[in-house]
Amino acid sequence: MTLIVNGVEHEISSPSLTALLHVLREELEIMSPKAGCQQGGCGTCTVLVDGEPRRSCLTPLATVEGATITTLEGLGQAEELSPVQAAFHNRYAAQCGFCTPGMIVAATALIERKGGAVDRDEVLDALGGHYCRCTGYVKIVDAVMAASRGEVEPVADLPAPEEGEPDVLVKGSPA
Amino acid sequence: MKAVGARLPRYDGVGHVTGRTQYVDDVRVGRTLWVKALRSPHHHAAITKLDTSKAEALKGVRAIITAADVPRNVYGHLEGLGVPGDEPLLADGEVRYKGQPIAAVAAESEEAAQAAVEVIEIAFEEKPTLFDIRLALDPEAPQIHQWGNVYPHYGPYNHRRVRKGDIDWAFEQADTIVEGVYRPQAIEQMPMETQVCLAVPEASGRLTIYSCTQAMYFSMGVVAAHLEVPLNKLKLVGGTVGGGFGGKVDTASDTICALLALKARHAVKWRWTREEEFLASSTRAAWHIEIADAVTSDGWILGRRMVTLHDSGAYARFSPYGVTKHAFHHSGAYTIPNLRFDGFVCFTNRVPTTAMRGFGVTSVSFAVETHLTRVASVLGIDPWELRLRNANRIGDTSGNGVVMHDPSTVAVTLAAAERVGIELPAEYRQMTSDARSGELLPEHLVAQQRLNGEGA
Repeated sequence: MTLIVNGVEHEISSPSLTALLHVLREELEIMSPKAGCQQGGCGTCTVLVDGEPRRSCLTPLATVEGATITTLEGLGQAEELSPVQAAFHNRYAAQCGFCTPGMIVAATALIERKGGAVDRDEVLDALGGHYCRCTGYVKIVDAVMAASRGEVEPVADLPAPEEGEPDVLVKGSPA
Repeated sequence: MKAVGARLPRYDGVGHVTGRTQYVDDVRVGRTLWVKALRSPHHHAAITKLDTSKAEALKGVRAIITAADVPRNVYGHLEGLGVPGDEPLLADGEVRYKGQPIAAVAAESEEAAQAAVEVIEIAFEEKPTLFDIRLALDPEAPQIHQWGNVYPHYGPYNHRRVRKGDIDWAFEQADTIVEGVYRPQAIEQMPMETQVCLAVPEASGRLTIYSCTQAMYFSMGVVAAHLEVPLNKLKLVGGTVGGGFGGKVDTASDTICALLALKARHAVKWRWTREEEFLASSTRAAWHIEIADAVTSDGWILGRRMVTLHDSGAYARFSPYGVTKHAFHHSGAYTIPNLRFDGFVCFTNRVPTTAMRGFGVTSVSFAVETHLTRVASVLGIDPWELRLRNANRIGDTSGNGVVMHDPSTVAVTLAAAERVGIELPAEYRQMTSDARSGELLPEHLVAQQRLNGEGA
């Protein structure tokens, strides 16, 4: 059977009941979906199937034949981050990073579905099945809301440097 | 000082948001074997039979190890610091907690490894169990550990002690004794990345271990000790840890993978399931803390008696160190001139416990701060006043005899009040960490400072 993953068509040799997560990681070596629990409980394996967030660990290969799969790798590259990726980076919403791929793809689907600004309750609802043990969620929720409003620039709640103050920014950094 | 106060981007942030950060599970070595473990189904039992021959004969199985395959099976995480080893890498004749590893298999697929685990022939004779640390010191309680139910190696004592001043005098002088019992419970750190390790035998004879550990050099030492190899035979590769919170301080998977890789002469990977993580990964400990404070009606703490029982689980690991840290902090950020502390590392049939965000200290801080509020309530004093008055000041002495030169309790307490929007009376707000004098230097603290050779 074939799968279209991040715009590339792949011939798949895994048996048809193999979990999509396993196909992505072990056969295609697409590593952003993580095996956090492999029982649908944690959200780290979330990918988009025809634009909808799905738990790839509970999705048998046979049920997605012909579907278009999008993983975090398909949303944007380092040189050209998607709005949600940029907001996550600039607002420190990724800490250890293990839940981040699932969070970003689910948030991206939410914003696309709404077609505009999302409010806090909508974000909490969309990310309800995604665990993060580092951040306490506040920065994640803020980043998704900011991305939905197109506010992906670095947060600037520090005062601007005074005249003559040494440059504290790392060259080329987004902060 | 360019970074202080600056908002710098995370150096690994772009990798995280693009999915390019490489965790141990993402490292690929061709035709890596999968590891699964046979774990104890019982909390406490003798192993009466262990036969791996049927499992070894299964298709796809490349190596199986038991205690007999470990060059040095019993080791301790703090052995390098003089704490005797007590924990077998693989259970040998006895299991002391549910989930304890007994044997491990490397096979060509995860399913083949699990199938092999399930045909290992094993029999147990169950033993009585102990889960309540309050019973650990009871001579009638089931004996869990080879050392008894209490870690016995604190110098000449079987527990961590702190003695300061004249505790009997303090309790004789007190207007009121305020007692409290505090029982913070065990917590699973639950990092999103479960325990995972990849061990690769190299052509050079060295072993490369991709580890999710939080404590690279501890892991290196532990692996080398069990394998009885010099450190230069091991190359540990760390990197991004998918969350740890203390739960990846213990060397949980590296050594078993190392042995299987050597025996199979092949790369092996062990990725724990979420069930294994909850069943068998070390947790934050449960504690039982009893405090009695000798206090005066006007809000001075003359003395504290305290007993702590720490649930180490089935083996010591880092617990003796955790209880020592706990002991150092048992008077909190306050000066109490007369102290008697006894802290016991108790063994139970729970999974061994370890660090989690303030190892040994969060438990004691929770107890001490809750108790201070209780003291204030009993005395009818503002809890902020009680804290600020007894707060450490320059020249005060900690429980273990350290004279404070730069304590921060007053400043931090005032800042905390401000941040939560509590407006303290002006007389509190003017307090500083300066050496005690006047009303803040009552007779019982004058006596202490004289003893220290500091102050008045």
